Amino acid sequence: MASPTDSANLGQITDKKKRYSAGVLKYRQMGYWDADYVPKDTDTICLFRITPQEGVDAIEAAAAVAGESSTATWTVVWTDRLTACDSYRAKAFKVEPVPNNPGQYFAWVAYDLVLFEEGSISNMTASLIGNVFSFKPLKAARLEDIRIPVAYVKTFRGPPTGLIVERERLDKFGRPLLGATTKPKLGLSGRNYGRVIYEGLKGGLDFMKDDENINSQPFMHWRDRFLYVMDGVNKASAATGEVKGSYLNVTGATMEDVYERAEFAKELGSVVIMLDLVLGWAAIQSMSNWCRKNDMILHMHRAGHGTYTRQKNHGVSFRVMTKWLRLAGVDHLHAGTAVGKLEGDPMTVQGYYNCCRDSYTKQDLPRGLFFDQDWADMRKVMPVASGGIHAGQMHQLLDLFGDDVVLQFGGGTIGHPAGIQAGAVANRVALECMVKARNEGKDIKNEGPQILRDAARSCTPLKQALDTWGEISFNYASTDTSDYAVTASPSN
Amino acid sequence: MMTNPTGRITQGQFSFLPDLTDAEIALQIEYGLARNYAWSVEYTDDPHPRNTYWEMYGMPMFDLKDAAGVITELQACRSTFPEHYIRLVAFDSTRGIESVAMSFIVNRPKQEPGFGLVRMEARSREIRYTVHSYATDRPENERGGR
Amino acid sequence: MAGPLYSIPGSTAAPPATVAVEADAASAGALESARTVGAVLAQTQAGAVMDELDRDLVGLAPVKARIREIAALLVIDKLRLNLGLSATSPTLHMSFVGNPGTGKTTVALRMATILHRLGYVRKGHLVAVTRDDLVGQYIGHTAPKTKEVLKKAMGGVLFIDEAYYLYRPENERDYGQEAIEILLQVMENQRDDLVVILAGYKDRMETFFQSNPGFRSRIAHHVDFPDYEAGDLLNIAERMLGEQHYHFGPGAREAFVEYLDRRLRQPQFANARSVRNALERARLRQASRLFSEPDRELTSDDLTTISESDIRASRVFGAPLSHEK
Repeated sequence: MASPTDSANLGQITDKKKRYSAGVLKYRQMGYWDADYVPKDTDTICLFRITPQEGVDAIEAAAAVAGESSTATWTVVWTDRLTACDSYRAKAFKVEPVPNNPGQYFAWVAYDLVLFEEGSISNMTASLIGNVFSFKPLKAARLEDIRIPVAYVKTFRGPPTGLIVERERLDKFGRPLLGATTKPKLGLSGRNYGRVIYEGLKGGLDFMKDDENINSQPFMHWRDRFLYVMDGVNKASAATGEVKGSYLNVTGATMEDVYERAEFAKELGSVVIMLDLVLGWAAIQSMSNWCRKNDMILHMHRAGHGTYTRQKNHGVSFRVMTKWLRLAGVDHLHAGTAVGKLEGDPMTVQGYYNCCRDSYTKQDLPRGLFFDQDWADMRKVMPVASGGIHAGQMHQLLDLFGDDVVLQFGGGTIGHPAGIQAGAVANRVALECMVKARNEGKDIKNEGPQILRDAARSCTPLKQALDTWGEISFNYASTDTSDYAVTASPSN
Repeated sequence: MMTNPTGRITQGQFSFLPDLTDAEIALQIEYGLARNYAWSVEYTDDPHPRNTYWEMYGMPMFDLKDAAGVITELQACRSTFPEHYIRLVAFDSTRGIESVAMSFIVNRPKQEPGFGLVRMEARSREIRYTVHSYATDRPENERGGR
Repeated sequence: MAGPLYSIPGSTAAPPATVAVEADAASAGALESARTVGAVLAQTQAGAVMDELDRDLVGLAPVKARIREIAALLVIDKLRLNLGLSATSPTLHMSFVGNPGTGKTTVALRMATILHRLGYVRKGHLVAVTRDDLVGQYIGHTAPKTKEVLKKAMGGVLFIDEAYYLYRPENERDYGQEAIEILLQVMENQRDDLVVILAGYKDRMETFFQSNPGFRSRIAHHVDFPDYEAGDLLNIAERMLGEQHYHFGPGAREAFVEYLDRRLRQPQFANARSVRNALERARLRQASRLFSEPDRELTSDDLTTISESDIRASRVFGAPLSHEK
């Protein structure tokens, strides 16, 4: 094992005169490394994956991460002596080589509770991923996981609705919810757009959805979209006797636009609005408060996350994003499909789902979860599986994700050869027969295809769907996988 | 008959499947009992999507070990209200859930009256919508074939 | 309407083919295909429960013989059913009669397991109740109470102790009658869903059955629980002590034999239950005895020994010998 170098003379300098004489010190000498540190229950703990430049010692690199993400700068400053920074500077306390990845190290860093403003993801992220990711001594850095202490969790209000209350409002229990994204994502007029909404919902879906980049373009201004969509939603509700919804994307250029659109959605009686992640943390937390005040479900589309979550050596893991978004307060979160067209290894994706839905997340290295996380009764986020999935995968989806998930079949509904309603029927029948079979004790993982074929014998739309897409799967290697095999026992 | 592809109200877990037999219903009940859910029998003549509180046919049944107890109540409810909607509802008292965990329809009227959509035009092209239950057009004591 | 139509007018989706979904032919399990007694016993492990019954319970020879008879009947019925020789499930309701402390509840628990292993009840749990659990205090209270108990017992065995209290002929409007009627109905119509065992003193059960012929006719098996012999009771006492890590010290065993002899001749002797109570009191005396010597170092032997004096301090030794039992 390529052990990080550890020479005793590089420990923290406690002599005040030496410590604060002008010049440049190693970060570890400034106190940002403490191998004996035992994190407090109130500390935030981060796990970074760091790739130091050639010749940079792993411990010094870890100390630098701790320093740059908390109280340090590159040189010694006398103004430190005006503060109590000794009591709260971040401390790297463990460094380990990443299994099977030479040159990469896992670094554990603890942050005192005083370092972050209460209830502010903006502030926490400005510290944790503010400067440090462009820090020259590191080739790359990635925030892999985070343990947020209960003391800090309780300063956040969390999801405005939560998946339990969402189900009560929708009167839908004991099965995944079904959705579809309206396609084409751009170009439909308001009138044509509402048609797709109506057909999908009447056919049996619970939700329809705006796509991330539909805001208020020339071919369809947002008010038109909202008006036509809500006509489809209400007509479908009357035709089926079910509560229906369509995520109205209220994302706009300014917060004034966002609020105006959300207010209009509320006025029209929508049960749900949608935001894009690219709006930023402050906008998300503001809108979360607005949703809480207005009994609105907040659907979060993770647009843009792939730019920093996908590469394994640099960025922020999506499990960290998931934790931040649960604290910030969203009700739905796109968290991957594992079997669809978008990135995501099944166990890693299950790890994201756990972060959305657990009351207490247990450490689970094969699922990429490095820490226990107590959610302190915070409401739960409904994960959304969307992107390249179809009715023929229903057994896999139910087996992987259980009941508390929205399964979104966009192409798999709208692309049905017999039309959108038929597509919706196919998905709903596939879902219900699979839930029924699972509850009856059947082994759906293995018997799933047969269960679907049996259901299709009396349901032509499902038969057509299976004939069209039955064999389609997206088998590409994922880039973001766990470094620990399923059989691996926790190494820390 | 309703105009959606199933021809009927699609609330609950299994409305898109052929009606469950009592044996199949018992299997679902067993699934819930294995998770310590408490089952309840509820009925209504007005299945409006926002009509949350269907009538309780007795209180939720706690501490049952076997589906037969629930089936007994369901059969009694069916014979009392053959032309009503009846659903089975399972409650999960686990901390962090404390809500309904399962719900599915187990009896329907022969003719499902469905709903109308009442539109009231408001300012600047807005419309106020009301989903209207046709079943409620008749007085309460004349509905449900009674 | 037995199901959804899946009809979308104008759609290219063809109207649904009416497929008769045949009921899942119950896959013939091993138990259903058994043709020998040995096969049934092997499939169900019912034999193991009977062996445990023999091993774990002291005495009770006639009861054990009776349980074996019933089990044999059930196994043979199972084989007859497998060959199509009997169609309906047999009546399995029972009455257990005998004095208190003669093992009725314990045997009922084992009976529930045997019935479960042989597939006569689905879950095999035992719900033990008395009149108070079934009969209400005011009008309209009884039916829901009785039904709730019945629902909880479904899939298993309902054990009604001192069942005769359900029937109070001196009070015409006693709510017990309502509970009796509901019980009788379920015992008749839901024989697959639960087995009822009525228990109590022999003579009072006899009177109860005479005034409630409906019960008598629905009870298939009567089991008599005789009082324990003094030797059995001593055995039981030593087992009870052993389970709690106690033993008789020198002379204590003999003292207890004497105790039993005297106690048996006193009224209200409740067999194993009285033995348990006597031992509890002996433990108390042992504790007080040790407690009175605060400075003595107590060995494991001290702490586990019931001494002769702990037994002889019983009031039973002071009381005049009575000749009624």
